[in-house]
Amino acid sequence: MRLVFAAAVLVGLASCNSNDDFGAQNIEIPGITIDESDADCCSAEEALAVYNFLQTVKPIDGIDLVVDGQYKVNVYSRTGTLHTGYNDLYFVATKASTGNYIKFLDITNLTPLMFMSKMNMYHSTPTSSEVATSDINLVAVKHGWISFVMNTSDAGSWSLAFDAEVLKKKGSLEATTITVGALPEGQQWLKSFKVENDTYYLSLVNPTDWKTGTNTIKAYVSKKSNPITTPYALAAETFTVDIDPRMPDMGNHTSPNNTPLVKQEDGSYQGTINLTMTGLWRIHLKVKDNEGNVVAGGEEGSTLFWDVTI
Amino acid sequence: MIIETLLLSLIILSDTTATEPQHLDEVVVVSKGQGGRRSAKGQVASIDEHLKELKNVSLVRRGSYAWEPVVNNMAMERVSTTIDGMKIFYACTDKMDPVTSYVESSNLQSILLNSGLNGNPQATGNIGGSLDLKLRKAGFLYNPEWKIGADAGYESNGHLQVYGGEASYSSKSFYTNGGFFYRHADNYKEGGGREVSFSQFQKINAYDNFGFRLSPQDAIEGTFIFDRATNVGYPALNMDVAKAEAFITSLSYKRLWEERLVQSWETKVYYNHITHVMDDTTRPDVQIHMDMPGKSWTTGLYSLVRANKGAHELTVNYDLYYNRLFADMTMYPGGAAPMYMVTWPDVGTLNTGVALSDRIRLGSAHTLNISAKVAWQQQRLNNEEGYHALSVFFPGMQQQYHQTTGRIAANYQLSIHNSQLSVGAGWGSRAPTVTEAYGYYLNNTYDQYDYIGNPRLKNESAIEVNAGYQVSGSKFQVSGDVNAFFFSNYIIGQFEDRLSAMTVGAEGVKVYGNISHATIANFSLTSQWTIQPWLTWNTRLGYALGQDDEGESLPMISPFSYTTSLGVHFGRFNGKAEVQGNARQTRYGKKYGETETPAWTIVNLSANYQFSIHHSQLALRFGIENLFDKRYTTYADWCDIPQKGRNIYVNLSFEL
Repeated sequence: MRLVFAAAVLVGLASCNSNDDFGAQNIEIPGITIDESDADCCSAEEALAVYNFLQTVKPIDGIDLVVDGQYKVNVYSRTGTLHTGYNDLYFVATKASTGNYIKFLDITNLTPLMFMSKMNMYHSTPTSSEVATSDINLVAVKHGWISFVMNTSDAGSWSLAFDAEVLKKKGSLEATTITVGALPEGQQWLKSFKVENDTYYLSLVNPTDWKTGTNTIKAYVSKKSNPITTPYALAAETFTVDIDPRMPDMGNHTSPNNTPLVKQEDGSYQGTINLTMTGLWRIHLKVKDNEGNVVAGGEEGSTLFWDVTI
Repeated sequence: MIIETLLLSLIILSDTTATEPQHLDEVVVVSKGQGGRRSAKGQVASIDEHLKELKNVSLVRRGSYAWEPVVNNMAMERVSTTIDGMKIFYACTDKMDPVTSYVESSNLQSILLNSGLNGNPQATGNIGGSLDLKLRKAGFLYNPEWKIGADAGYESNGHLQVYGGEASYSSKSFYTNGGFFYRHADNYKEGGGREVSFSQFQKINAYDNFGFRLSPQDAIEGTFIFDRATNVGYPALNMDVAKAEAFITSLSYKRLWEERLVQSWETKVYYNHITHVMDDTTRPDVQIHMDMPGKSWTTGLYSLVRANKGAHELTVNYDLYYNRLFADMTMYPGGAAPMYMVTWPDVGTLNTGVALSDRIRLGSAHTLNISAKVAWQQQRLNNEEGYHALSVFFPGMQQQYHQTTGRIAANYQLSIHNSQLSVGAGWGSRAPTVTEAYGYYLNNTYDQYDYIGNPRLKNESAIEVNAGYQVSGSKFQVSGDVNAFFFSNYIIGQFEDRLSAMTVGAEGVKVYGNISHATIANFSLTSQWTIQPWLTWNTRLGYALGQDDEGESLPMISPFSYTTSLGVHFGRFNGKAEVQGNARQTRYGKKYGETETPAWTIVNLSANYQFSIHHSQLALRFGIENLFDKRYTTYADWCDIPQKGRNIYVNLSFEL
């Protein structure tokens, strides 16, 4: 009896190990046929990384672009929708025949445009200056962003256009209507300020990722273009943005050891924000120029703040 | 053989019921049928009222329920509280539930207080002293016996009602005793007749103890206690308690030997958990409603060996426990998103220690007591959110800490003729409490500051010296005691101007820190004079001093206090008239937000009559507290909430 038991244990142990001993298994990805000889497309490992990433985002409906009749370009955002303020956009091209992702994709002239019907006027909004690979492990995913200054409403509607080049084949998305939703109460992620005749926009990047504790705070400073139908590029000037996070519902409670947003090599601004709890945080902003002169915000009752509810 | 078994059963009985008081230690008897000090209200009295009888103990009141015992003018951080040697930790970040609130008088045989560093074997961190709540166990009896008992009490002030019932069975191989207790009180009235809002409470308690004797030498014993308080008001705080619930259980194995080096060996495993839910929904004008639940659970074991060899009475104890403390807070501002934070970051504490004590009879007149303990503990912050939140204030803090603490105390006693002299000294250290090390924005209504814990605190340590002298004659007894504690790295909240308060209306933020030194000293004088066989005059005087490193007074240190009473005794009738009071608190912790408390004096009357009808024993107790309906508040009344005004009580205990 004891022998039988010992044998059963041995068999059990051996069967546990057996999976490891037969080398790597073939990667299977739903909806994708991997042809390792197709150099334009991702290898199985690369495709799997892209596939896994795409499970975390959703395609934006209504944006359909087919290039050369055989390459499909999709645009993704975190939720499949767009909202006021900063939105990450991800561009991915797939080969219609295999469903596999194509590494060589160029997106240019990303142009969001608002038509304000009552004033019969067009304007653009802060937009990333380029759309490029941002993660070395996701070569087939091109990243860009748009920070919408307002949401779609009776007053106006948004359209989006861009040019795509897939394996030297060119295509364009003609101005297509997109819907930009409003942020819920307690969230204001885009503010503007003026220095002389220039208008600048402060776009806060993805504050909903924040957690109680110490967080990196990231933003972009864009400058209104002339003409205003051109997407607003990053401001060439260098600023420093002091932050003062407060909880209006808790008697203006604040947190210690916050550091200002300073310009990084990649053009973004980064600092440190400490959050002592969840809830509504009003981050008062004070913008200083290169010489340290305050150019916006900081005064009593200033509306130059971001609201973030985590 | 019969005699031996009988004797043994007596040994077990005495071992599980009465604990011999050591010098400087005090016992207050809770249960009926025993001599010794106890509350005038008998068994119907609350644990808090029993604790009041101990001369080293005062009680901090935040309402009429769950008072916080303070020993030698040191509160819970510096006092160990155990239930029959079991560790148990309160679950409220605002100290609304000292662990003494999770037991009832009917659960207990006695409360043993060890003053200062000479703690009971399971105590750790007991600089001020240790309290061990001894459970009442029916014990084994050679002749099987059933007993039932009941208690009922009523107090006019606050319409307090108390009902209790119990039953026990004892035989030579099995015993069990169990029962229930119920208390209900409405708001009480302060002196002058004004009602103190939010001072109501309600509590139920059910318990059972049992034992099996496996052989004449060994036995297994077990305990269950379930205790639940609901709708408890805290007039001194901004919140009340919807529910405070505890479940306490243990199983122990005990073996006894006779005529051997080792006399007894007891090993106990235990588990307890506490759920505490605060509630502010019944309060008017609440700016922001808050949910503040807290949880504490503890499991552990101890193994205690008692041995006798020549002049030595030796005990060796090993103990191990693991405790988890978690508390959080959700605030609901009208319309906006709720705000959430973790106030105790699910701290897991694993603590283990070895304790030794030896009582050496050096001669007929000399005794030396020595006790020592070394403990090691590891703490881990299991809640990531709480850990990251605290890291904002302490960048680079770890998620795990460990500390080693110890204590050693010696006491020498000399008895000559009618007098007894004792001198003692000790050294001990304690690790910071979870609140002191990891508490997060805990609002203290006493000084209106938000407190943040400091994970980088050093252990606090103290040197204690004490002396006592007692003279007794045929008709009188006078004793004086003094003790002093010289602290290093004393832990106390320190102003931190750079931080902003969280609680709406708070003055600011304090962060716990070590101050280089502090001193607390206590003096007491008691006398008893038997004027006539039926007439006794008792007096008790006390004074204390507390000073920080800058010579400023520490907060919550008792002013000069006095109690004097005349007792009469005629057959089955006992009566007592008592005058009690405090002098003006001239030395108060102004720096720490304390305000001066004026002097007060009250008069109490009490009487009891014991009689029997058929085979049942009855005790009738009657009394008037605060006879002249004085409005007063003591230094230990949180936020100066007034004490009860005139209160007439009557209670009846019955045993068959």
